[in-house]
Amino acid sequence: MALVEVEDLRVSYENPVLLGVSFEVEEGETAVLFGLNGAGKTTTVQTIAGLLKPDAGKIRLGGTDIAGRPPSKLVPMGVALVPEGRRVFPALSVANNLRLGAWVRRANGSEVDERRELVFEYFPRLSERVDQAAGTLSGGEQQMLAIGRALMSKPKLLLIDEASLGLSPALAKTVFQVVKRINDDGVTVIIVEQNVGVLPYADRVLIMEKGTLIFSGVGDEIQDANLRESYLGKAEE
Amino acid sequence: MDRLRERQGQVITAAVITLLVLVLLATGEKESLVIGVITGSAYGFLALGLVLIYKSSGVFNFAQGEFGTVAVYTLYLLHFDVPYGFALLGALGVAVLMGVVVERLVVRPLFDAPRVTLLVATAGVALLSIAVQIWFGEATARPVGRALPTLDRFTVLGVQISDQRLLLLGALAILAGLLAWFFNKTNLGLAILGSSQEPTATELMGISVKRLSTIVWALAALLGGLAGVLAVPETGGFAPGVLTVAFLIPAFTAAVLGGMTSLPGAFLGGVIVGVVEAVATSAPIFEDIPGSPGTLLVFVVLLIVLVARPQGLLGKAG
Repeated sequence: MALVEVEDLRVSYENPVLLGVSFEVEEGETAVLFGLNGAGKTTTVQTIAGLLKPDAGKIRLGGTDIAGRPPSKLVPMGVALVPEGRRVFPALSVANNLRLGAWVRRANGSEVDERRELVFEYFPRLSERVDQAAGTLSGGEQQMLAIGRALMSKPKLLLIDEASLGLSPALAKTVFQVVKRINDDGVTVIIVEQNVGVLPYADRVLIMEKGTLIFSGVGDEIQDANLRESYLGKAEE
Repeated sequence: MDRLRERQGQVITAAVITLLVLVLLATGEKESLVIGVITGSAYGFLALGLVLIYKSSGVFNFAQGEFGTVAVYTLYLLHFDVPYGFALLGALGVAVLMGVVVERLVVRPLFDAPRVTLLVATAGVALLSIAVQIWFGEATARPVGRALPTLDRFTVLGVQISDQRLLLLGALAILAGLLAWFFNKTNLGLAILGSSQEPTATELMGISVKRLSTIVWALAALLGGLAGVLAVPETGGFAPGVLTVAFLIPAFTAAVLGGMTSLPGAFLGGVIVGVVEAVATSAPIFEDIPGSPGTLLVFVVLLIVLVARPQGLLGKAG
């Protein structure tokens, strides 16, 4: 059953950026959105998360049309975005970053504590930095915090924009492995990436170019050598 | 590195305060210390409001003084007919209402405009407010009674302190504690701090940044209103735009001195500005300076601090 259905999505800033994008992501899948800079990947996930309003098209979450709803409505419905550049609250401690991540769950203190323990289970490093200001963490730790903070809202759908950007290959692999664990625990994931190192963890691959979707594939199609040569080689450049 | 800079700011602040106190005691200007702390408390109230809005939206709010003036005007209109306590509450309520209205009608439509546009818009609000006060009540001074009329019950360092002045000091101390608790312990306070650092990320937590903006403006208006209803009755009367004319520049100086983003800094800056002003007004050494030696000395201190530490006493660099 599809958790996310995007249908003929059109978004523009001053000029059109998404020219009618359609795809589906099944519940429990990890989908990876590839493409060169300017392809429209970030615009796509930001529109799903409610940061941008579409000009036209539909976005359904579990059958409900959510297009154009703000994040304050979508986060309680189970949509969370880890934005490009992490955007942690630099002057707040790790603990307070996580606390703000649980804003929509704040009425239930024990649930917030449980979520925090779960985040520390995924990222033990964060539990050692609990009182440290987020702005003083390393790039990798900030990425862990950004993902952990998004998990605090108990999302059904986790969108991650450029998970591996600025990370060493080893650290990027660690992040991908944790994302796989999060997915195994029942969270549907859409990752925007330019790093093909994420492929082993993907159930579905979506490739974008100049505001359109040019490839959507699952299973063996992803491992096809022609696919790598035709599209992903370009994405890696 | 950040901690080192923070520590450096605290050391400079402690040095400035110690030096100021020692000079005042050595030169026999201890009265200026007491009077300055009291006047500076009112500047501190206004400066706290300025810093709150600056932290959350990056704007210097020229209308901050008018929240106080409108509160005083409301107190003046009400206190003849209803008990003083109710008149005070009504005055603060009107100030908060004004803050909410300004946010919804002026700030919200300009949310994505350049900050300088918003700055000019707040100046427009201040001018409009003063014009309306003149239109309704002519440009004359009006008497307004004190909350606590008993005079000069205590003497501190040779200065008799009225109950009204004690009320001002007490209110500021309580409010400083409440604000510290609010920003450190409550989810809402944390969300306001978060939105001042990363508005997009705050939105992504499911928090409405626009709703937070309304709350911040209401809170800032409450602080401005408190400055008005506690400090102005001590002077016995008020004229249109009194807080903009007499309090806004010292409060702005206090906020910059404190670091513009630091709430304790704003509080401390207010007290320093108040003391420096009081010294310049009473010390014989400044007698021959024409015009307003208080304002002159305040700006000299501000310049010295900004040259030595551009981010202010308790502000953070960058």
